[in-house]
Amino acid sequence: MVVVATNITYFLANAFLDPRTLFVGRRPPLTEQQVDTLLQANNLNSHESIFLRWWTWAKDIVLHWDWGNSPTGDPVNGEIAFRIGVSAELLLGAFVLYTIIGISLGIYSASRQYKVSDRIVQATSIITLNIPVVVMSLAIVLAAIGFNQKVGIRMFYVTGSSSADAHGFGKIVDLLQHLTLPTISLVIISYAGTQMLQRSLLLDTISADYVRMARAKGLTKAQAIRKHALRTSLIPVATQVAFSIPGLFTGAVLTETIFNWQGMGQYFIDTLNKMNINGVVAVAAFGALMTAIGAVLADIAVVVLDPRVRVH
Amino acid sequence: MTVTKIVGLPQSGHSDALLAVRDLRVSFPSEAGRVDAVAGVSFDLQPGRTLGIVGESGSGKSVTSLAIMGLLDDAASVHGSIRLGGRELLGLDDRAMSRIRGKDISMVFQDPLSTLTPVFTIGDQLVEALTIHGTMGRRQAAERAVELLRLVGIPRPESRLKSFPHEFSGGMRQRVVIAIAIANNPQVIIADEPTTALDVTIQAQILQVLKRAQEETGAAVIMITHDMGVVASVADDVVVMYAGRPVEHASVYDVFAKPRMPYTIGLLAAIPRADRRDAQPLVPIQGNPPILINLPDQCQFADRCPIAIDACRDDVPQLEAVLNASNDDDDGGGHDRDSEHQVACVRAAEIEDGGTIKGRPIFPVPEIAASDLAQVPRGERKPVLAVDNLVKEFPLLKGAVLKRRIGTVYAVSGISFDIREGETMAIVGESGCGKTTTLLEIMELAPQHGSDIQIDGHSVTGLNKREIRTVRRDLQIVFQDPMGSLNPRSTVFDLIAEPMRAFRYSSDKVEKRVEELMDLVGLNPEHSDRFPAAFSGGQRQRIGIARALATNPKLIVLDEPVSALDVSIQAGVINLLEELKARLGISFLFVAHDLSVVRHIADRIGVMYLGKFVEYGEVDAVFEDPQHPYTTALLSAIPLPDPVKERTRERILLTGDLPSPTDNSPGCRFVSRCQLHQSLEPDRQARCRDETPALTGVDGVHVNACHWR
Repeated sequence: MVVVATNITYFLANAFLDPRTLFVGRRPPLTEQQVDTLLQANNLNSHESIFLRWWTWAKDIVLHWDWGNSPTGDPVNGEIAFRIGVSAELLLGAFVLYTIIGISLGIYSASRQYKVSDRIVQATSIITLNIPVVVMSLAIVLAAIGFNQKVGIRMFYVTGSSSADAHGFGKIVDLLQHLTLPTISLVIISYAGTQMLQRSLLLDTISADYVRMARAKGLTKAQAIRKHALRTSLIPVATQVAFSIPGLFTGAVLTETIFNWQGMGQYFIDTLNKMNINGVVAVAAFGALMTAIGAVLADIAVVVLDPRVRVH
Repeated sequence: MTVTKIVGLPQSGHSDALLAVRDLRVSFPSEAGRVDAVAGVSFDLQPGRTLGIVGESGSGKSVTSLAIMGLLDDAASVHGSIRLGGRELLGLDDRAMSRIRGKDISMVFQDPLSTLTPVFTIGDQLVEALTIHGTMGRRQAAERAVELLRLVGIPRPESRLKSFPHEFSGGMRQRVVIAIAIANNPQVIIADEPTTALDVTIQAQILQVLKRAQEETGAAVIMITHDMGVVASVADDVVVMYAGRPVEHASVYDVFAKPRMPYTIGLLAAIPRADRRDAQPLVPIQGNPPILINLPDQCQFADRCPIAIDACRDDVPQLEAVLNASNDDDDGGGHDRDSEHQVACVRAAEIEDGGTIKGRPIFPVPEIAASDLAQVPRGERKPVLAVDNLVKEFPLLKGAVLKRRIGTVYAVSGISFDIREGETMAIVGESGCGKTTTLLEIMELAPQHGSDIQIDGHSVTGLNKREIRTVRRDLQIVFQDPMGSLNPRSTVFDLIAEPMRAFRYSSDKVEKRVEELMDLVGLNPEHSDRFPAAFSGGQRQRIGIARALATNPKLIVLDEPVSALDVSIQAGVINLLEELKARLGISFLFVAHDLSVVRHIADRIGVMYLGKFVEYGEVDAVFEDPQHPYTTALLSAIPLPDPVKERTRERILLTGDLPSPTDNSPGCRFVSRCQLHQSLEPDRQARCRDETPALTGVDGVHVNACHWR
């Protein structure tokens, strides 16, 4: 499926993006011949048959794991490898945090349905769910700058993913200083979806007959929820969360842009703007791969949570 | 949960009561106002005894049991007193209650399909119940779990411990639930409608398991049910509840032999009986139970009671001991106060044993016109529906993309019968035997090869679409669930008019006919612009019947038409069907699992087992002289609403569940569960296994498919 999706993207990207336009308006103007040669070097010449170009592209990937170059000649491989690392630093931490926070708050609010604490959690979730990323991030940036000024030292960095001068142990501290703000911003805007889903699913199972039965056996309400209701309600949540992984990598465009992280999301927009066909395709391939990984993770989660599927 | 305790309550005369409930009141907040689900329930439960709590839906019986268990919603407010062995349970927090639940009081719930956690094995759930109270280690608990499963009659308990609930049938799951309930030798077992979701044959098994469990643990049982037959079978004492209040409390014999509360009398008169031929129609109780919001201080039954007087509306009548009029002659010293028999009725003293007052019955028996057709012998009446060798098979497929056939479900395999004008034919059998499939196949009007369906004398094989449409006019259906079968967004007028519009009746005609139909089924025609939600269950079923009648069909097919209704409402619908049959000469094909209803309403009956008729004939002949061993077992499994009869008769208990209908090898399909088969000599047994029995007997009157009967 990953292969099919990637190839379809290749043809689509070639149909929609025209690197030729990059050379329009150059001073001095380039001749048709010159543009062809420049593009030919990067296997992007639209005067060549699409199938021939596809063949070269596919051959390079299969034989050399070479995903091609941008119209300006930069290799896509190096760019992607670097950016996956950057994105992963930012997103995996945020992903784990907001999933844990979302599920925990969901359980907390479901077991206290209609009490004050539940209503506070629900209200907060609804508010954070509706705050645009930009507003949230800028607010955090302002707050952090304010904090830095008050303390007098630069506690939090508001831009970039690392400082050039850090080394050794300082590198980790430096990373954390850079990571804190975008992570907070991501967690705040993303946890609410998981929280609400977990809450409603758990509420469904809390009122199920088998939870009442567990209480009738002598479990306290909290025990019954933890042992009997939680597991069944986690199954759909786990599926949902696992499938959100691909969207995560390419979806954090705004956060990456605001905090100036050179991540995958930013690269995706960048490649589209700069007619970087090979870059777009590589990003799409990465997304497809993430979807596949998400699906596998979802299946693993279901098997872990639901012993019935293990039986046969 | 808000809880208040009442201090200085009158102490019970029985200080040995295990569980003493005093003036229990439960209310819930709702959008419409405060719902008083339970309004003053008091009873004592003695060790080793069984207390039956009966009542219709909404009478507060389940809420009472949940209040005792402390399992009510947090929003509920509970008042009064519940004492277990002298200890007050109300007001205990969840932690303290959890030490009592499962150890001292345990519970069996209604729906065995949803009471076991799907993702844990049976063994895990049993062991959890055994270890949660810290009385047992895991290894010891595992041994005890095997013992418990064996006690409740689960074969091969060691290997079944590792099974998940979905690998068990409903009856088996209920056995597991009972095993969990008796795991810690509780003092009190509360069974909340434990057999309502099960077939009669399985119900009989489960009731027996419960009885054995009770003997084993010496526990007191609270049996909550709406089925008077179950009460008669298991209870020692009975509390009848109505609108959140107990209205009669007596020993089981007194409740059935000399009820004093008009509601109890009405309830008993409304139940059809499987054990006798009913000469007269059932006696329905008019009206519907009240909605439990802002109830006035009066007898809640007064609005439905035919003998209500002004005093009934003055105050809420309290449970009071009955003046035991029938004991007059032994001591001659005037009336004896029978403290065991309490009634909440201001006129209780005037009511006599047979449910009469001043010699006249409290509930007048409605009159239903006799049909003219009843005079015509059956052979001279036209057949409305004739089914010949009806077959329905479903393929069993396997594989995700490419399906291959790995077997066949023989849902219906070769049944034949006919229905004459003005006749009711019933098909009975356990769930999964193919009753509903038979109905749907008939409604489909497209018999599989080799089968034939004749409507009004004409075969439907080879008819084109237009002709089939005309045939459909003569054939209508009423479904089981009166809520689900009516579109909630259509008015009653539209619902009833729909079949007529499908057959392009003129709008004048439709309007007149809807009015006529509503009148016919006992609804007020002025309500035709209302939506189904505004009607009660019984009224909705009447709407369904009116819709079926709209095109003047010759035959109406009814799939469990009264099983979703309360007893007092059910009687009215049954009477309506009988009246329609008599007045319109209409025929019914009726599918039901409640054999008492069938006995009352049907003229002929087909007993179905795994897609085949095992016995077929006139209803009285079959009920009075059941020949096939399956029919005998089925009939003996019905609990009769008569404690004396119920406790003295011999019961044939079928073992096991319905086998899977994928086996079509020759031989009798009932052989695996047959009680007769086991008593036969080996050479005769071989015939049962190898030769498929045919229906034999007096043709058209009473036939059965058993080699030896």
